[in-house]
Amino acid sequence: MTAGAIAAEPLGVACPMDLGWRYASGAAMERFLAGLRERRIEALRCDGCGRRYLPPRPLCGDCRLPLDRWVPVAAAGTLEAWSVYRLPILDGRTGEPRPTPYGIGLVRLDGADTTINHLLAETDPGRLRIGLRVRAVWREELRGALDDILHFEVAR
Amino acid sequence: MSAVAIIGTGQTRHASRRDDVSQPELVREAAEAALADAAVGPDEVDAVLLANMELFEGRALPELWAGAGAFAAGKPCMKVATGGTSGTSGCIAAFHQVAAGLFDLVLVVGFEKHSEGHSQTGMALTDPFWDRAVASGALGNFALSISQYVAERGATAEQAALVAVKARRNAARNPHAHLRMGDLTVEEVLSSRMLADPVRLLDMCPQSDGACAIVVASAAAARRRSRRPAWVLAAETRHEQPYIGDIDRRLVTMRTLRDAARVAYRRAGIGDPLTDLDVAEIYEPVSYAELAWYEALGFCADGDAGRLVEEGVTGMEGELPVNPSGGVLSSNPVGASGVIRVAEAALQIHGRGGERQVEGARLALATGYGVYAWADAVVLGAEAGAT
Amino acid sequence: MRAGDRPAVAIAGVGQAGPVAADSRSIPEMVLAAVEEALADAAIGFDGVEAVVTASVDLFDGLTASNVAITEVVGAVMRPETRIAGDGLCAAIHGACELRAGACETVLAVAHGKASMAPHWALTEWAMDPVFLQPLGIDFLVCAGLQACALAQGDGGATERWAELAARRAAAGDAAIAPPRSAAEILASPVLASPLRRGMAAPLGDGACAVVLRAAAGGPGEAPVRIAGAGWDLEPHSPGERDLARWHGLERACARAGLDRTDPGLELAEPSCLFAHEEELFRAAAGIGEEAPLSPGGGLFAGTAPHVAGLSRLIACARAIRDGAARRALAHGAWGPAGQAHAVAVLEAW
Repeated sequence: MTAGAIAAEPLGVACPMDLGWRYASGAAMERFLAGLRERRIEALRCDGCGRRYLPPRPLCGDCRLPLDRWVPVAAAGTLEAWSVYRLPILDGRTGEPRPTPYGIGLVRLDGADTTINHLLAETDPGRLRIGLRVRAVWREELRGALDDILHFEVAR
Repeated sequence: MSAVAIIGTGQTRHASRRDDVSQPELVREAAEAALADAAVGPDEVDAVLLANMELFEGRALPELWAGAGAFAAGKPCMKVATGGTSGTSGCIAAFHQVAAGLFDLVLVVGFEKHSEGHSQTGMALTDPFWDRAVASGALGNFALSISQYVAERGATAEQAALVAVKARRNAARNPHAHLRMGDLTVEEVLSSRMLADPVRLLDMCPQSDGACAIVVASAAAARRRSRRPAWVLAAETRHEQPYIGDIDRRLVTMRTLRDAARVAYRRAGIGDPLTDLDVAEIYEPVSYAELAWYEALGFCADGDAGRLVEEGVTGMEGELPVNPSGGVLSSNPVGASGVIRVAEAALQIHGRGGERQVEGARLALATGYGVYAWADAVVLGAEAGAT
Repeated sequence: MRAGDRPAVAIAGVGQAGPVAADSRSIPEMVLAAVEEALADAAIGFDGVEAVVTASVDLFDGLTASNVAITEVVGAVMRPETRIAGDGLCAAIHGACELRAGACETVLAVAHGKASMAPHWALTEWAMDPVFLQPLGIDFLVCAGLQACALAQGDGGATERWAELAARRAAAGDAAIAPPRSAAEILASPVLASPLRRGMAAPLGDGACAVVLRAAAGGPGEAPVRIAGAGWDLEPHSPGERDLARWHGLERACARAGLDRTDPGLELAEPSCLFAHEEELFRAAAGIGEEAPLSPGGGLFAGTAPHVAGLSRLIACARAIRDGAARRALAHGAWGPAGQAHAVAVLEAW
């Protein structure tokens, strides 16, 4: 190759990334996660607007008031939004692709006002619609993490 | 806010891979084009603002490395990173720094080189305790919100496909665009691969490598240097609650964009945006979002967006051409996409839109969209406002 | 930030969480503590905040668009917020720009960082040129070592001097993160990046800072501190392209802030020096001799969260002016390898 010529294949430098972080859950989330180990779901209710928040958090963003009133939430609710995801996508926990297709939904659990973003057992779009009643399917061994709920299934 | 204007714009050729350039070189390509357009020398630039979502390239503080591409060495330089709104918020940051009286000429460069990182992983680092286990990226989040929007407003797949066709056909007249598909048909969109119901491949934006730059000038510098500055008449930002599940039917309500637009229109003296605006460059990562944004932006009544696109109201020959550039649906280097919206709006005011010029454009809207519902609204005009 | 018909910028309230070695609270909880303190200090509630500027870095937080995590606790829901990915002082400076631009009357500037989440210096490798520098394993720590090496060239007493300086600074602080050590102990501490030893580096930890800025006319009844000038600068990236024995970028930033190096007229300087040798670079660049107190509280050697440092320095200056300890002070923030980027703010009593 003469000086100044450009290689046919562009040169690249590989920088493999292997990083990890230790995240603090925060007091509200810690209580929520501890509850999951006993299949208990709790939300925080805002004294200003009455909104019951999942996930629990320190402050209501609308009213800008601290949240400390816990309210019980059921492990069943209403499907408020849905899709069937068909692309291979990486699981943020493992870095491995998830098997496709898989259902996703926003579920408004009975007793909460925000929705929970989770997986659905149903993958047939013809059988999914907004307003369906759904319930949580729990993992056998509970670990105190959101994926203690494997997915939601349609209550028929 | 004291008067500021955009006096030059420039962008790269956007493509799925730009292996021919490094990140600083990509930035340089856009920066040089914008400076040439404004007839401003690199040494005349007082300060630089960069916009980029660094995690998509697996990087931190990318201005340190790529800043040199924007001639930032030896100059004041900050970097804005706010998800999809990075570009519009980067432009707004420059407006504020110039309006503050600190600088006469600021160069803004937004860039993203998706091909050098792993954008899916970059998007997957959501709350590790809440939705990281189930997060399905921008596509999944949009698909969910679209199911609500379709159910409530009755938008159809055909209407969404019309948006996708309009975007790619417009892009065919934009030499910078990534997806230039002058012959695309509704049938092709409707038969493209289903990605996440009801979103099909051709409903969705691509991932692009690309950069875009604007030159922001103080009133005095703008009048001295530009025959037709694009004056900043309004610039508004609204952020939202942190989780998708917090936002009540977000495409239906989109209160951030509604409020940002309402205030921006008021500041710019816009009564009816559909008749008053000459052109709009809006940030639509997916076809259905454009329909939802028409309603949030007040181009039509709620539920009427489909009619707008069916009747060609937002086409190049319509009453309010939306995204003559081809929009985000045709090119999406995330950190640049917001700058592209602002630059394309400015380009129309400058009257330098070439084949995508809207004849006699004097009032233009640019919007940004990011995370779940963050919104920016920028109004540019051919005449300086009263502010 | 000088002259003209634009409003002056007052520092109306300040608040801090940490720094501590490892804060068991989440990022939002930590940030909320700082914000609540700043709002209380400014005697306003969340309703009194019109706009927010935050500073954070995604890769350091391990979060995509990491300011998402704090939108609620900084009061940014349905408000203008922007995020500068850089040192926290940039948030305050940009917030001051928004006020000067007339975009709003009150801005909340917030910065957070948690070094306890991941090995910080290892993360900084991802901020280096990935073609020519990162593959060599060069991170910010290595660059600091190169810079110290350049300074120590032909200066036989340099390391002893830095050890003494570090010992003095650490002793002045409240030692929240690392216990103070003698110069001899520092010289015997493990090598970080030759010639730098562990004790010559400020201890890193977790923290958040919040500052309420207000557009002001000045005069009686006004918040007692104002931002009189600000400047920032980016140097070339590669250490090989720079004269490592000088902080040219800081010289330019100071000039932009209206500081005369030959007579800066400062009664206090609060630099962001993560390493002892950087204090010498700072003094030379800002033109600060021995007459003005520098880091009387130990500076970053009392502990700091990465990229919160500059905002914590601004708070230190503001408090000193309020307490009557100084009438004019310089706050400094830095980011990037070997001081590639600098920001400064000149604070004055009304």
